[in-house]
Amino acid sequence: MRLATILSSAAHWSRAVLAVGAVSLLSACDYNFWRMDGHQSTIKVEGPVAKSQLDVFYVTCWVTLVIFILVGAVLAYASIKFKARTPEEEKAIPPEQGHGNPLIEIGLIGASVLALVVIAIPTLKGIWYTYDVPEDRKADTYEVTATGYQWWFKFDYPSEQIAGAGALTTANELVIPAGRPVRVNLRTIDVIHSFWIPKLAGKVDMIPNRANHLWFQADQPGYYWGQCAEFCGDSHAVMRFRVIALGPKDFNDWLTQQTSPARDVAPPRVATKDAPKVQFASLRTFKQNETGHTAKYDTSPLDAWKAQQFPEKGENAALIAQGKALFKEKACLSCHEVRGHGYAGISGPTLTHFGSRSTLAGALLENNTEQLHRWIHNPESVKPGNKMAKGYIDNNIKLTNEDEVALVAYLQSLK
Amino acid sequence: MDAILKSDLQVKDVAPETKSSVFWRPTAQTGLISWLTTVDHKKIGFLYGIFALFFFLVGGFEALLIRLQLMTPNGTVLTAQQYNTMFTMHGTTMIFLAVMPLSAAFFNFIMPLQIGARDVAFPRLNAFSLWTFVAGAIILNLGWFMSAGAPDAGWTGYAPLTSKTYTPDHSVDMWIMGLQLLGVASIAASLNFIVTIINMRAPGMTMMRLPVFTWMTLITAFLIVLSFPFITVALVEIMMDRLFGTSFFEVSGGGMPILWQHLFWVFGHPEVYILILPAMGIISEILPTFARKPLFGYPIVVFSGASIGFLGFSVWSHHMFTTGMGTVATAAFSLATMAIAVPTGVKIFNWIGTLWGGHISMRTPMMFALGFVWMFMVGGFSGVMHSAAPADAQQQDSYFVIAHFHYVLIGGSMFALLAGIHFWFPLMFGRKIGEFWGKLSFWVIFAGFNITFFPMHFLGLNGMPRRTFTYDGNLGWNSANYIATVGALILGVGIFIYFAVMVYTYFKGEKVGKDVWDARTLEWSLPNPPPEYNYRVIPTVHARDAFWYMKQNKEQIAKEDAAHAKEEAAHGGIHMPHQSIYPFVASLGMLIAGIGISVMDNDPTPGFWGKKIGVTMIGGAVMLAGIYFWALEGNGGYHLHPENDGDESSGKKPAKH
Repeated sequence: MRLATILSSAAHWSRAVLAVGAVSLLSACDYNFWRMDGHQSTIKVEGPVAKSQLDVFYVTCWVTLVIFILVGAVLAYASIKFKARTPEEEKAIPPEQGHGNPLIEIGLIGASVLALVVIAIPTLKGIWYTYDVPEDRKADTYEVTATGYQWWFKFDYPSEQIAGAGALTTANELVIPAGRPVRVNLRTIDVIHSFWIPKLAGKVDMIPNRANHLWFQADQPGYYWGQCAEFCGDSHAVMRFRVIALGPKDFNDWLTQQTSPARDVAPPRVATKDAPKVQFASLRTFKQNETGHTAKYDTSPLDAWKAQQFPEKGENAALIAQGKALFKEKACLSCHEVRGHGYAGISGPTLTHFGSRSTLAGALLENNTEQLHRWIHNPESVKPGNKMAKGYIDNNIKLTNEDEVALVAYLQSLK
Repeated sequence: MDAILKSDLQVKDVAPETKSSVFWRPTAQTGLISWLTTVDHKKIGFLYGIFALFFFLVGGFEALLIRLQLMTPNGTVLTAQQYNTMFTMHGTTMIFLAVMPLSAAFFNFIMPLQIGARDVAFPRLNAFSLWTFVAGAIILNLGWFMSAGAPDAGWTGYAPLTSKTYTPDHSVDMWIMGLQLLGVASIAASLNFIVTIINMRAPGMTMMRLPVFTWMTLITAFLIVLSFPFITVALVEIMMDRLFGTSFFEVSGGGMPILWQHLFWVFGHPEVYILILPAMGIISEILPTFARKPLFGYPIVVFSGASIGFLGFSVWSHHMFTTGMGTVATAAFSLATMAIAVPTGVKIFNWIGTLWGGHISMRTPMMFALGFVWMFMVGGFSGVMHSAAPADAQQQDSYFVIAHFHYVLIGGSMFALLAGIHFWFPLMFGRKIGEFWGKLSFWVIFAGFNITFFPMHFLGLNGMPRRTFTYDGNLGWNSANYIATVGALILGVGIFIYFAVMVYTYFKGEKVGKDVWDARTLEWSLPNPPPEYNYRVIPTVHARDAFWYMKQNKEQIAKEDAAHAKEEAAHGGIHMPHQSIYPFVASLGMLIAGIGISVMDNDPTPGFWGKKIGVTMIGGAVMLAGIYFWALEGNGGYHLHPENDGDESSGKKPAKH
C-alpha cells in the first residue's frame, strides 16, 4: 500500500487543484442549474392544465420531501450513532440478535399508506380534469387537429373551411385564441410522435391507428415553445413547434389572412433580361447543429412574431417572380402547397403563408433570409434523414446560389 | 426420490479419463477447453461476471460519448444517427448485457453456496444459458462492424419506428435476434435457479430460513420466467413483420403499434424489478453482516420482495400514461403504482432497523450498501412523483425520467452489485480489496454519480426531452448539461479506480483466510476459493443465519458433520458431473442461425441453398446436433473423496479462478 500513502500526501495538492478548478468552472458558466424558467419550463406555467399538473407535482414533491427528511434523518442517525469507531469496538461482543418488531412494521406500513392517500386524491382529480375540457367550457372550446410527420407538425382548423380547399391548414406554428380552451386532436402520418407544450400542458402521444386528444388553454396572449417528446427517428431532437396565442381581434385578423390565398407580388414591368443584375453573396458555411436563432424571439417573441406578418420593405419583385417559377421548375410543388399559385403538393408542410411564420424546418430555425437559405441549400445537414434532402437526390435537383436566393425571396414574400 | 438417488449413485467410482464412450467427455482443468466445457456453477458465474463487466465498460463508454455530445448546446461530437445509436445501445447494453448478467453471476456463484448445494440442478443447462447469453450479446453488437450500423431505434424499440418502412436496414433485425437469444438464456437460467432453490437446499434449510439474497434470486427467476414470454411474443411478431410482411404492427395492414407498447412493458416493468430485486438481496446480506445483527423483520422483507414481484405485473401501463388510455385505466395504473411504494418503503425501514442498535463496521461493501439505501430512496421518491399521472404527463420522456431511473439503476442496482463484488471478492478469490482504495473509489463514484444525475431532475422540469442529440442554448439547459457531463467524467474516473483496484487485487491483493467479515450465511463456512465440490459435507441448517449459528454451536455441528461424512462415504463419496461441450455447441448453433436470420440479406430467389436460408439452416442443424448429443451423452459423473474441507482429491484439482 505504498501507493496509498503517496496518494494521501498528494491529496493535499489535489485539493488545491480541485478548488482552483471548481472556481474556474463556476465562473466559466452560468451554473445555477436549479432555475427552471426556460421557454419549456413545466414550473413557470401559463395555463390551467399545466397548472393542475404542476399542483399535483408539488403535492408529490412535498410529501416525498418530508418523508425523505424523516427517514433520512433516522438513517443518518443510525449510521453515525451505531458505528464502530475502533477495531476493538468492531470485535466487541455482537449486539443483541433481535429479529424485528411487528408493531413498528405495521405502524410504518400504515403511515406509508396514509402518505400515499394524500398523493392519490389530487392525482385522481387531476387525471379527470386534464383529460378533457370541463363541461361548462365545452361551448367555448376551439378545436384543431395536429398531425405528426417525420419531423414536423401539421395543423388543421376544421372550423375554418375555405371554399374549394377544405379546412385551413398550417404547419409548425399553431395559432390559437388566448383565454379559450383548445382541444387538439392528435394524429400521425408515420411513426409515434408526442405533442408537448410544457408551459401549457403535459404531453400526449400521436399514435398510428389511435384517436388521441388533449386540451389546454393559454391564459394570456403569448408565444410558447413545443417539442416532440417521443423518439421518432433520426431527427427527433429537432422536431419542434411553436404555439402562438392571440387575443380575439388579432386571432380573427390572422384567420382572415390565412384563409385568403397566397400573396402575389406582381412581377416588374421590365423584361427580366433587362433587369439590373444582382450580385449574390454566397452562403457562409454553418457548423454542424449550429443554432439558427437570434435573440429577438427570446426577449419579445410575440412582438417579433407580429412583425413577421407584414411584407418586408424593398422586396425584389423580379427575384420573387424568378423564385416562383423555380418553385415549379425544381419540383418543389410536388410536395409543397402554395394555395392560389397553383402549387398543391401535400406530403410536405404547406407554404401558402410561409413568410408569416417565425420559424422554419420544423421550428428549428428562425425564419430569416440567412437561415432559410441555409435550409434550402443543404437540408440534410440541418435535419438529418429528412424527406426534402431525399427529394433533392431522387429528383436530381441541383440549385445554384442564384436559384436559392430567388427561392428564398419568393418564400419570404408569402405573407 | 430415493430410487433416483440410488440409481444415480450406481455410477462406478472411476476416474473420468478412463470412461469409454462414443461421446467426448472433456476433462481439461485449465485452458480454453476447460472454460468452454465447464459445468461448475462457480466458473460459470465467474464468466458471467467477466462478460458483464466488459459490457458495463462498453456501455459506460457509450454513456460518456452521449454526455460529451450534450456538454454544450449544439454539440458536434456525434452525428444525429451516431447519437441515436449510442443511447439505444447504452440502454440495451446496460440492462441486458451488464446489470442482468452481473446479477446472474451472483446467482450462479453465491446462491448454490448459500443453500448448501454442490451445484445447480442442471449444470449443463447452466452452461447453455451462459453461452446463449454470449451469442445474444454478439449479435446485438455485430452492427458496430457492419454497414447497417448498430441498432438506433431506442432500447424500447417502439413500433412502427422499428418496422421495415422506417428502419429498412438490418440494425433492428440484430436487436430483435439478440434480445431473443438473451431471452432464451435468461429463461433457461431462471428455470435452473428455481429448481435448484426448491429442490437442492441442505437439510434444515426451510424456505423461511433461506438467505434473503437467495429469496430474491428465486423471486427474480420467477419474474424472468413469467415476463420474458411477453417480449418474446412481441419480438417474434415484429420479426414476422420484418421478414415475412405480416401486419402485427404494420399500420397499412391494419396493425396496432400500441400493442407493442403493452407487450413490451408487460415484460419491461417486471424487468425493472428483475434488475433491482437481486440488488435488494445483496444489500439485505451486507447490512446484517456489517451491523453484526440479523436482518430486521426478515419475513416482512421476504414478503415485500414477493409482493413487489406480484404488483410488478400490474403496473406496466404507467410507462404509457401519455398514450391516451383514458381516465379509468390511467387512474387504475396510477394507484397500483403508488401501492408498490409500500413494500419498497418497508424494505428501507427494515434496513434502517437492521442498523439500529448494531455495531456497524464501515468497510467498503458497507459504504456501497449505505450509498445504495440513500440513492435508492431518491430514485424511489422520484418514482412516486411519476406515479401521479398528471405530474407524469410533464415528466414522461423528459430528463426527469432519465434522472429517476439512473438513480434506481446506478444508485440502486449498480451500487449494490459493486458492493456485492467487494463483499464476496474474498470468498471468490481469497483476496481482499484494500479499504483505502475501495473507499476512495466509493466516494469518487458517489460524487460523480450525483453530480451527473441530480441536475437532470431540473433539466427535465425545465422541459428537456430525452433522446435528443442537440439542443439550442436559449432554453436554460446549458449549465445543468455542462455540470452533468463533468459529473459523468468524474463517475468514469471512479469506475476506473474501482476496476483497476479490483484487477490489482485479483493478482496481488492481500490474502485472507475464510470468513473475513465474520459473516452470517452458509457460503462463508467454505474455504476460499471454494473447492469445485463446494461442501465436503453437506451442512445441516438449524437457524436463519445458518453460519452464525454454526459459529455459536461448534460442537453440535462438528458431531453432525462427522455423521454426515460417514453417510456420504457409504454412498460412494461426492458425485460430480462431467464437463460437456454440447451446451456450447447448441449455443453456437443458435449464434449461427441468429446471424443468418438477422444479418444476411434476403435471398433474391429464396431456396434451400440461398445464403440467408442456408446459413440459418446450418445454424439450426448445429443447434439440434448439440441438443441431441447433449441428451444422449448421459449424465455421467465421477466421485471425489476429500479428507478435509477444500482438499484436492482423486487426482483432481479444485476449480481455479
